[in-house]
Amino acid sequence: MQCPCHNPRVVAFAAALALIGILDTAPDILISRQLAATAHLAVGDVITLATTPTGGRSSSFRVAGIYEPTPDPMRFTAQRIEGRMHLPDLLTLVTDPHDPASADAIGSINVALAPGTDPAAFAHDITAGAPTVAVRPTSRPPQDDPFAVLDRFHLAISVVTMFGATAFLLALMVIRAEERRETVAILRLVGIAPRSLLTSVAIEGLMIAIGGALFGVALAFATEGLINRFFQARYDTALVFIRVTGPLAMKAVAIAAPLGVLAGIAASWTLLRGSVLALFRR
Amino acid sequence: MVAEARHVTRTFPMAAGAVTALSDVSMTIEPGDYVAITGPSGCGKSTLLHLIGCVDTPTSGSILFEGRDVAALTESARSRIRLTRIGFVFQRFFLLPMLKASENIELPQSEAGVGVADRRTRTRELLDYVGLGDRGDHLPSQLSGGEMQRVAIARALANRPVLLVADEPTGELDETTGEHVAALFDRVHADGTAILLVTHNPTLAARATRRLSMKSGHLVA
Amino acid sequence: MTPLQLAWRTTTRYRVRAMLAIAGVTVIGALLFDMLLLSHGLLLSFADLLNSEGFEVRVLAREGFARVPIPDSQTIADAIARLPSVADVAQITLTLAEGRADQKPPRRLTLVGRALSTTRDAATGCEVEINHVLGRALDIGPGSTFRLTPMPSADAATAMPPVDCHVTAFADFGFNASSDATALVSMAEYRRLVAQEHVDAEVILVALKAGSDAAAVTREIGTLRPDVHAYSNEEVVAQFNRNGFAYFRQISGVLSALTTAFAFLLIATLLTVSINQRLGEIAALRALGIARRRIAAMLLWESALLVGAGAVLALPVGGVLAVGLDRILRQMPSLPERLHFFVFEPRALIVHIAVFVVTAAAAAVYPIWLASTLPIASTLRREVI
Repeated sequence: MQCPCHNPRVVAFAAALALIGILDTAPDILISRQLAATAHLAVGDVITLATTPTGGRSSSFRVAGIYEPTPDPMRFTAQRIEGRMHLPDLLTLVTDPHDPASADAIGSINVALAPGTDPAAFAHDITAGAPTVAVRPTSRPPQDDPFAVLDRFHLAISVVTMFGATAFLLALMVIRAEERRETVAILRLVGIAPRSLLTSVAIEGLMIAIGGALFGVALAFATEGLINRFFQARYDTALVFIRVTGPLAMKAVAIAAPLGVLAGIAASWTLLRGSVLALFRR
Repeated sequence: MVAEARHVTRTFPMAAGAVTALSDVSMTIEPGDYVAITGPSGCGKSTLLHLIGCVDTPTSGSILFEGRDVAALTESARSRIRLTRIGFVFQRFFLLPMLKASENIELPQSEAGVGVADRRTRTRELLDYVGLGDRGDHLPSQLSGGEMQRVAIARALANRPVLLVADEPTGELDETTGEHVAALFDRVHADGTAILLVTHNPTLAARATRRLSMKSGHLVA
Repeated sequence: MTPLQLAWRTTTRYRVRAMLAIAGVTVIGALLFDMLLLSHGLLLSFADLLNSEGFEVRVLAREGFARVPIPDSQTIADAIARLPSVADVAQITLTLAEGRADQKPPRRLTLVGRALSTTRDAATGCEVEINHVLGRALDIGPGSTFRLTPMPSADAATAMPPVDCHVTAFADFGFNASSDATALVSMAEYRRLVAQEHVDAEVILVALKAGSDAAAVTREIGTLRPDVHAYSNEEVVAQFNRNGFAYFRQISGVLSALTTAFAFLLIATLLTVSINQRLGEIAALRALGIARRRIAAMLLWESALLVGAGAVLALPVGGVLAVGLDRILRQMPSLPERLHFFVFEPRALIVHIAVFVVTAAAAAVYPIWLASTLPIASTLRREVI
């Protein structure tokens, strides 16, 4: 009787069964979108992971899904080539057979606290009981938060920019005031009260400032999408880099408005307070 | 002949429809002429003056200045003619406010390449000529209207032009001051410079040796 | 009168607006200058810090800069030390520890073990060099004694007993943050403190002989021992530039562009408005025969005077601003105390000047076009009306 192993159909059937066996037994893994794109992987693919560059201690995993890594602003330039698997599967993969203790070693434990629990106090308690363990609340106090520092940095830049913009606004208002020197002189001569003129100047400054601020806010809204899309493409991340919010827009207008009024009044002060006849002189 | 207008027409395209400011106007200016053009507002006096002064070009017809067709010249060439052969006096003086009277007079000389020493000498002469020998260091804001116009006349004469062109030179001046300026024009004329001026002032117009009248874009006399 | 003289007279006549324009350009120029300092400042400072340590090459177990023990580090260090270009090799390992002194609360610190190829590594009792932060925290200095309790990783067999250590000197640890406490012992002493016979270094630092090529030595090490990763200081800086520095490079680029655009807008708008006020004057000048070229030159000089004055004043203002901004950014946690974000380099000054030269020219383009193409006759007519 001929050995069935010589029958090509039998061999193919056996290989198919073996493959199905692998598919059935291979544990699931989720891979990041970036990994899937780089390695041209799709859901259902079977991949082999090894813990050494030479491929030693490898295991097969089935891609059960592709996820978008949570953007991390501290690592936004890093290529998120990563995957997620069940902890027992990971431990099976990385356990050093010569070191049994490594089967029970993990890198970190994430703890969700009951509402109202103070993370700092909890961290202190753990540290007291296990001094070799580093315990860190995920929400950093301001003195440890690099983004609080960046916030202050951005604020400083904004303040400087406002000074520059104010000088610009003042220069324009001065020119406008000079243009209307004769008009103002005539109005004062015919008896229009300086207060009325001051009011009109203040309103004009307010309108220019608010108009400019609203234009700026509209520009910010319009470019927000562009800037985010550019950097998201550049760094292949879902991180949002700029977010223009309603309160922020209102803050911008609220700062611009009094600046505009003050600039208008300051620029027109000599016209409204000086001698009428002096205004007619060239 | 200093300047000649041959069947000149000037039309301005406007949103509401083209406006013909000058229609088939011909005239000549000879060396030593003193020509005054009068007429109601909007009759085309200033337009004609601008064309002969090489500040503008005609829509049809030709303007010849010392035999050259102005329209055929480049703007640079026309600019050169205005600098060295024509002197302009404006109704609103248009002195540079940040320059002293003497510096305003030196400006066209500097542009014409006259050396510093020659400029200064010529400027002193001109200030004396217009009766402002002691006001050369004053800014325009420190001069009266009549004084400013005299400085403007001195500036116009700086490069010894063959033709002095004046657009309502006494328009912003009172009668007495206007008389002084008119007397200055007489002196300029007497010294051989041709003058073409546009004016509403009948007293000033009466001093001219030739008076032309315009109406609705045409010369009527 | 030259175009420059005319421009100067115009600028000084309209003194208030000129001063405001210069003030605006100064403030914006200061910001631009600072962004130019920031664009490379951190890299320059980081490179300086690396080079000041005296070692030109770093050897690690893995790609990237994660600290894991280098297997068989002593053998590797000995092999590297034998390379002809190598002057010295330092093996470094670190662990957490706690220091205590009389009446003072305990202080967490980093315990550094170091072995130099050029000096004998022997345990001679716990002799320690400490930094000033630890000295202030425990009120100790050279000659003092304090108790040191090593706290190695969780897989240590036993808890470490405290050891009395003798402070021999203050030491400066270049990459320490302002609040980092550090103590340095010999590698032999370190092994004794953590009760391990054999400790592999986490990083091997290589000092080269004068005139040696760090890149060549890095390649030699790679050939000698392909199982480790060697980086020259230039390569470390380049990696830092690609990853850690990205935010500052981006923001300095964005703000540089914005400030340049702002300065351009400021001057172009002011000049244009100023020209519109003086159309009659300019038409009269053209009627008098003053060439367009001369008027254009005058306007260009007006722009240059405003922008130039602002750009020059921007330098000292930018310097002061840079100190303030640097102070803010250096509040970042765990930042080496000697690292700065704003560092002067001649390139920043050259770019600053070049940007403002171009800005002055560009801002004058539209006003020059206005003045050069204005219809003389109709402008004169309109001015009379």
